[in-house]
Amino acid sequence: MKILVIEDDASTGAYIAEGLREEGHSVDLIANGADGLVQATIGTYDVMVVDRMLPGLDGMSLVKTLRATKNATPVLFLTSLGGVDDRIEGLQAGGDDYLVKPFVFGELSARIAAIGRRPRTQGDPTSLKAADLEMDLLHRKVTRAGQVIDLLPREFALLEHLMRRKGRVQTRTMLMEAVWDIHYDPLTNVVDTHISRLRGKVDKPFATELIETVRGSGYRIREG
Amino acid sequence: MSAPFRSSGIRSTPLRLTLILLMIFAVAALGCLAVAYEVTRGNIDATLEADLEQTVSDYRAIRDADDLENRLSEAAANTDPEVRILQYLPDRGARISNVADFPPIREFAVVPEDAIKAGDDDDDLAESYLALSVRVGRGQLIVAHSREQIVEMGEVFLSVLLMGLLPALIIAGCAGAWIARTARRRIDTIEGTLRDLTGGTLSARVDGIEGRADDLSGIGHRVNQMADAQEALISSMRQISADIAHDLKTPIQRVAVVLDQMRNRTVLSDGQEGLLNRALDETDRIVRTFQALLQLAQIEGGAVRDRFRPTDLADVARDVVDFLGLDAEERGFVLTIDAPEDGTAIVKGDRQLLSQLITNLIQNALTHALGGGPIKVIVAQGLGGVTLTLSDQGPGIPLAEREKVLRRLYRLEQSRTTEGNGLGLSLVSAISHLHGALLTLEDNAPGLRVRIAFPAPLSM
Repeated sequence: MKILVIEDDASTGAYIAEGLREEGHSVDLIANGADGLVQATIGTYDVMVVDRMLPGLDGMSLVKTLRATKNATPVLFLTSLGGVDDRIEGLQAGGDDYLVKPFVFGELSARIAAIGRRPRTQGDPTSLKAADLEMDLLHRKVTRAGQVIDLLPREFALLEHLMRRKGRVQTRTMLMEAVWDIHYDPLTNVVDTHISRLRGKVDKPFATELIETVRGSGYRIREG
Repeated sequence: MSAPFRSSGIRSTPLRLTLILLMIFAVAALGCLAVAYEVTRGNIDATLEADLEQTVSDYRAIRDADDLENRLSEAAANTDPEVRILQYLPDRGARISNVADFPPIREFAVVPEDAIKAGDDDDDLAESYLALSVRVGRGQLIVAHSREQIVEMGEVFLSVLLMGLLPALIIAGCAGAWIARTARRRIDTIEGTLRDLTGGTLSARVDGIEGRADDLSGIGHRVNQMADAQEALISSMRQISADIAHDLKTPIQRVAVVLDQMRNRTVLSDGQEGLLNRALDETDRIVRTFQALLQLAQIEGGAVRDRFRPTDLADVARDVVDFLGLDAEERGFVLTIDAPEDGTAIVKGDRQLLSQLITNLIQNALTHALGGGPIKVIVAQGLGGVTLTLSDQGPGIPLAEREKVLRRLYRLEQSRTTEGNGLGLSLVSAISHLHGALLTLEDNAPGLRVRIAFPAPLSM
């Protein structure tokens, strides 16, 4: 993907750019808001990473201006602020996701992947499939290798979220936000416990493991 | 916090002043009336005395005894005893009088009606008489004049009192009570503002003092000025602490970046990796503390209130219990919830903050009630609004510490060694306050019971 990073802190900017390049993306790094807006307008990017506090022009105004010109490039906001308010303001200004500093690279990478591919939603499928695991969304039925698996409603939602994003890493915070609608720090690693319960039903009785742990990032459903 | 002092009834200064004023007015008016009555009565008495003396001296002027008796007989026959009484007792001979009997007196005397016997049953007598008894010729002459005038005057004074003073007192009393109530209401406004200010609502101000120049408005202005100064001070302090937290996040981000790169890009021995992970955990803790401090500042700023909407607290609580239930189970707790399913537990608020509030309460119980046990979450719809109760069977919080634990970064001595940053209950307190809810920490005997009473949505 072609990614524009607008971040004024040199070391954070370099860290992001370097990490994204290592993952095979093409990255442009700009350190101030006004130049960032110009660059965003003349270049075509798949995703933009925008710091909220920038010299020249702040991130919110930048994205608002961009959206006013019908530019729909997905935007991930970075911020040092982290209140519920800031997140909603960011999303209202036209941001697609929101990440609070400091973050680990895995979180940033997973979120960029999520918003970068989002436009490619192919309608609403009635069933999801990964290897020998099948989810019937209409009848809310899960089978693996022909065997019916009983899931609680929330376990079903968690599995559905991962299955819909097969092959893409979902971080713990992403899962918390999507499955439980929790946008704050719950001071616990209980997502891991929920995943391990789910694994106990979906993976344990079978030969291969479908729910994969990605070190330093989160979880994903193995493609295949 | 001490119970709010409410002055009422006789303790209310304006009402007390009004009553004192009324009493002074009544006593003064009665005094004046009494003096006026005395003076007028004295004047009338003096006139009557002069009149009696004049009459007596007229009779004394008659030298001839027969002539005197004839004149007296004639006068007695023609005088109405209700106005004037004549009685002449000659040393020898018949008594001349227009009444049957008049008691003997010396010189001037006031004689009431009862002491006199009317000559004829049809004759009316006055209520009292001023009488003069003197020696005239060869006999004792008594001339008595009706004091009807004075009695009537007394009645006039009484009616002045009843028709003038009493209504005046009643009107003054009503007006005084009204003025006292108005003043009381304005004092109440100031008192209420002060109570809100000490209760932590820094935006409270005394209303309705614009364009007035009296002493109460003066006090109101001073209170408002004081509140402005206090609010500015506190907001600048909050701004400073938020700025510090914010400014420190960038360098912490850099440290986190360096540590992350070190872990991912260099080959480390097991010992080195362990140290690195500990350093990463520590930066994570610092970040969480800063995050919580920043969030506290934001919540206390109150701007989130604009986004409040009716939220089913039972629904929020069920989601949180569902999310944290596994955590509780793994640590030996039994987390249960009792909440209405019919969507009636509506509070006006922010779903995320309410969810965070319940999460923090459950986390607090999980952290401090060591060794497990039941944790109960109850959402109940009462008359006054929705109440959230969370109880555990841990060590609880001593009475003296209950208020302190709501402060930032405060931790009980016994829990210094447990995880947590001392901000969990501060956040709970701040979120409750933002929602206008009343937070109380109670003894669950054993354990802690936290009760949060939300106001009914309509009254917000």
